[in-house]
Amino acid sequence: MRRLTELLRALALVVASGAQPEYAAAAPPAAASPAASPPVPGFATALEPRTFEFPRDHGPHPDFRQEWWYVTGNLDAADGERFGFELTFFRVALVPQSTARSAEPPAALAAPASAGSAWRAREIYMAHFAVTDVARKRFRFEQKLSRAALALAGAQAEPLRVWLDDWALEASGASWQLHAAQPGYSIDLVLEPQSAPVLNGAAGLSRKADQAADATYYYSIPRLGVRGRLLRDGRAIEVHGLSWLDREWGSGGLGPSEVGWDWFGLQLADGSTLMFYALRDRNGRREAHSAGTWMAPDGNVRALTDADVGIAVNDEWRNGSGDRYPAGWHIRVPALTLDLRVRPVLADQELQTTPRYWEGAVDVSGERAGTSLSGRGYVELVGYAQER
Amino acid sequence: MRTLRAASVRHLLRHPAQLTLALVGLALGVGTIVAVDIATASARRAFELSLQAVNGSATHQIVGGPRGIDERWYVQLRTQPRGGGAGAQFAPVVSGYVTVGERVLQLIGLDPFASAALAGGAGRAAPALAIHGPAQVREWFTLPSAVVMSDALARELGIAGEGQFELAVGGVPHRATLIARLADADSGPGFDGLLLTDIAQAQEWLGVVGRLTRIDVRAPAGESPAEFVAQLRARLPSDLTVRSTRAEARETFAMTDAFTVNLKAMSLLALLVGTLLIYGAVSFAVVQRRAIIGILRALGATRREVVVIVLGEAALLGLAGAVCGVLLGVLIGRGLVGLVSQTINDLYFVVAVNAVSVPAATLVKALAAGVATALAAALLPALEVVTSVPRLALARSVLEQRARHSARALLIASLLLALGAMLAIVTSSRSLLAGFAALFLLLLSIAAATPALLQALADGGARLGARIGPAARLACADIAASLSRTGVAIAALGMALTAMIGVAIMVESFRESLRDWLAQTMRADVYVSAPGIAESLERRLDPRVIAALLAVPGIAAHSEGRRVSVSSPEGPVDLNAVRLVPASYPGFRFTAGEPSRAWPQFSSGAILISEPLAWRLSRSVGDSLTLETAAGPRTFTVAGVYREYGNDRGEVLMDLGHYQRWWQDEGIATLGLYLSPGTSVAQVVSGLRRTAHGQQALLIRSNADIRALSMRIFERTFVITRVLYWLAAGVAAVGLLSALLAWELERSRELALLRSLGLTPAATALLTAAQTTFMGLTALLAAIPAGVLTALVLTEVINRRAFGWQIGLHLRAAPFSHALLLALAAALAAALYPAWRSARLPLAAGLREE
Repeated sequence: MRRLTELLRALALVVASGAQPEYAAAAPPAAASPAASPPVPGFATALEPRTFEFPRDHGPHPDFRQEWWYVTGNLDAADGERFGFELTFFRVALVPQSTARSAEPPAALAAPASAGSAWRAREIYMAHFAVTDVARKRFRFEQKLSRAALALAGAQAEPLRVWLDDWALEASGASWQLHAAQPGYSIDLVLEPQSAPVLNGAAGLSRKADQAADATYYYSIPRLGVRGRLLRDGRAIEVHGLSWLDREWGSGGLGPSEVGWDWFGLQLADGSTLMFYALRDRNGRREAHSAGTWMAPDGNVRALTDADVGIAVNDEWRNGSGDRYPAGWHIRVPALTLDLRVRPVLADQELQTTPRYWEGAVDVSGERAGTSLSGRGYVELVGYAQER
Repeated sequence: MRTLRAASVRHLLRHPAQLTLALVGLALGVGTIVAVDIATASARRAFELSLQAVNGSATHQIVGGPRGIDERWYVQLRTQPRGGGAGAQFAPVVSGYVTVGERVLQLIGLDPFASAALAGGAGRAAPALAIHGPAQVREWFTLPSAVVMSDALARELGIAGEGQFELAVGGVPHRATLIARLADADSGPGFDGLLLTDIAQAQEWLGVVGRLTRIDVRAPAGESPAEFVAQLRARLPSDLTVRSTRAEARETFAMTDAFTVNLKAMSLLALLVGTLLIYGAVSFAVVQRRAIIGILRALGATRREVVVIVLGEAALLGLAGAVCGVLLGVLIGRGLVGLVSQTINDLYFVVAVNAVSVPAATLVKALAAGVATALAAALLPALEVVTSVPRLALARSVLEQRARHSARALLIASLLLALGAMLAIVTSSRSLLAGFAALFLLLLSIAAATPALLQALADGGARLGARIGPAARLACADIAASLSRTGVAIAALGMALTAMIGVAIMVESFRESLRDWLAQTMRADVYVSAPGIAESLERRLDPRVIAALLAVPGIAAHSEGRRVSVSSPEGPVDLNAVRLVPASYPGFRFTAGEPSRAWPQFSSGAILISEPLAWRLSRSVGDSLTLETAAGPRTFTVAGVYREYGNDRGEVLMDLGHYQRWWQDEGIATLGLYLSPGTSVAQVVSGLRRTAHGQQALLIRSNADIRALSMRIFERTFVITRVLYWLAAGVAAVGLLSALLAWELERSRELALLRSLGLTPAATALLTAAQTTFMGLTALLAAIPAGVLTALVLTEVINRRAFGWQIGLHLRAAPFSHALLLALAAALAAALYPAWRSARLPLAAGLREE
């Protein structure tokens, strides 16, 4: 059995090499492996700005190698209990659509039943579902992997549906429904967008490294009202709150010097939101392609460059293996007169998946233009843990 | 006490030949048990490992009929877990058999994600990766023909690097690409017969697109298994069953039960013979020391001390013999593993036994058996010597007197044992164990009767010899007078010869019955079949190939057949679906039911069952049998029972049309071709070969070929039986040798006296040889009727109870002549050394022993 477990680890690596591209650069042998070395012949690349069209672009973009649907949110129960959740679907293509195998040349005289198997697949889906239970100081996560075949996993645009087994994100009229379950926790939530999709980077084209192909199309819906039910140990809890959707697709990876990133998605009480990703090199220094987006309470959007945002780490957390993660930040955006302090609601919100990363609910406090301001959000920290 | 112990040790060391032979006898007996245990345990272990290699963490399996499971049920289980089975892990498996060169391998198609999730956190830190990095993962999913196998298997198949090779599924060739190897250290023997591939590839190669062989399930922890199974079953259609993996493994391996029980019985026989030998050796050693023991007793040694010394000696002997036996058994076991797995592969299922496992329990059992055997064998002589009055113990004549009495007592015991055997058979109707018990009682009865027979013959011989001359009279009277020492050896030999004759007659009778049956049942002139494992689904003739074959000139009629395994409430049942032609009908011999009534019923949907199945499931004409069809369970009426030796588990014969209707399976695996009169079989066969060439590798065999092949497989399955009974015979021969040798050596002063009275060395040798031959022939004389009786028990009781077969007894000369040869060889070998020694020994030295 161990061998099959190893197979899974290797496959997760492939998935990761698409979805979290620092592994693409790290995975040996990069040169021999098209899946690990951008640009990939046969896949479309995010080189030019595109015209986004919704709801079509909520759906999958099979010409690109990888893509993800990322939903995070903070939830409150009637009795004051607080939860965080993450439900993410990754799509990774193993080979481009054009070169995908159509059929094996029939051997001499193929039996009539030897038509193509429905299990043949060129795409793999990975999904993560994590729950932060603040009152009980619990963080629980689960990972699922499946080939995109036989309706086991897949994505479609109209009506929107992204699923893996019974975990799903699907449109239902103007709202979206989420379902995911793991031992101890399950969620059934309805999301209502409170803003239009926000295009990040240059009109939705988000460049990640010096090489042009290392870019994605990237939009967010930074405020979605959420309400529904969370089951904890079989007991239903009515919850409501605010969540965030990130959508990204592309065929490239990170630059050779980039090893990870810190991503912030903060929802402030005045109705504004701040997204920023800080790309790091091996020495922990910020890379110039770091960028973000500010959405004002009135919905106006402003792109932020590396130079616009200052981040100071003021705390750290170590996981069981001794890997160090930052665990508290002081973020300043002078151009917006924004000064925020960000703290995790629970120190350990690390997903011990392949690769490991930290994705957790945070509290925000601070001020803007002299007025004090609070908020909540999610932070993602990638590239801190040693792979083992 | 110290004197006693010293006397004991000195005695043993002074008689090294005797010591060695007793040890060899016991070692052979113990060794045979160990060997059989090792061989069956290794086969079982290999089987279990091959099950665990794939989804070893599964607690349950969902299985369907012969066509497997519609894959949409799997999708439903995964995407709608709330319908029942929530929290469980499911993994699909598509499996079948492929051949690579000469080697049959199990092809396992799986979904690595599902299998990994089913494994859970097991073995996170495994260092050995079969699939290294993204490139190989992409190959696994997207490269047509990608396979993975163990490094050992790749080497065995001669596949270099990550090369391509050809595999065949039901004779259809496919190209396969080895994309990765499982490191030896990590894969273990469970993977030695396995070829892993993606589930999509397996479906395509095996021609089962849309179907799964099974769904492995890991039940959620902390839930009641019964409740979980009930919930899961409730949401599945009626043609799918849920069962625990342990039950599945048990059921599959239970197919070999009758076979392994037979092996165990044979090995016990060898030990039984060994027991008698130890008894002979120990009692002999005691007899030789009667004088010294008598003196010691007179000097004040207590009975307890004497018993302790004698038993201690025996225990030591037993331990030494058992240790040697275990070592010997491990050696023989290695040889037997091949034979056992060959038989299992021929008859039951494919298992690749590459590792020999020596269960610790076997070793403990063998050591205990060795010591216990020696102690039991020594108990009688030990008690005998201490119950004698000290002075009397000195007298040999007392002992011989007693032996003559006990021969009579043994005769009564023999009758009682025979009665017991009869009772065991009569009072039980189905128990195989009771059958074997009867067999052993019978053999013991023979052994018990032999001394009396020997005595009677020797007395008679002495009276007869008196008329011929003093030497002849002396020779016979001498034997009669030495019953205490020769009786046991003769009994052991008699028993071994009995078993040998019995088994040989049984095999012979079986062979003849099989030959008759083949001649009667094989009606077609030419048989065409897709290669592969008998009941596997992928074994199927391509319809286009069938059409082309039937167009070959000279074919007048043809029958069609399909063999599958179907579920029934009584476990899996082999189903043979046939479309017969009128010429086929006389090929079936009914043992129950009227052909004139049964065949019309058969055509309208009733079934016929073979003798073994009728026996196993206790069904006869008019009864019904429930089978799991594609449309759920359905009850079929049994219209007749027919003779069939091809399948020891038995089979159901069903009309092909009805099978296709109930199981939705259109496959045809075999064709029986009936040629027009005057057509040359060879010509048609070569015409068929030409037609199939390049399309499907088929087995095209003439009637004569198939009969020869069947007989070859038959011979192969009995090789192991032969090996075992030769081992038992070997133990007996060694025993006889040791007893006679000791006897002759002890008599050396008598012989010296005879020589001093004028007997020439040649005459002395002749006398010795005549005596041992007499004894060997006596054993044979007892063994001949007993052997026939044993054969009857084997065919009428053991075989019937193990397999349900009725076998007509066939008597041939060969088994008897083999037994005669063995008896003579053992007797003469035993005479050789004493004859040589007494002829060479200076008279004075011989006489001095007086």
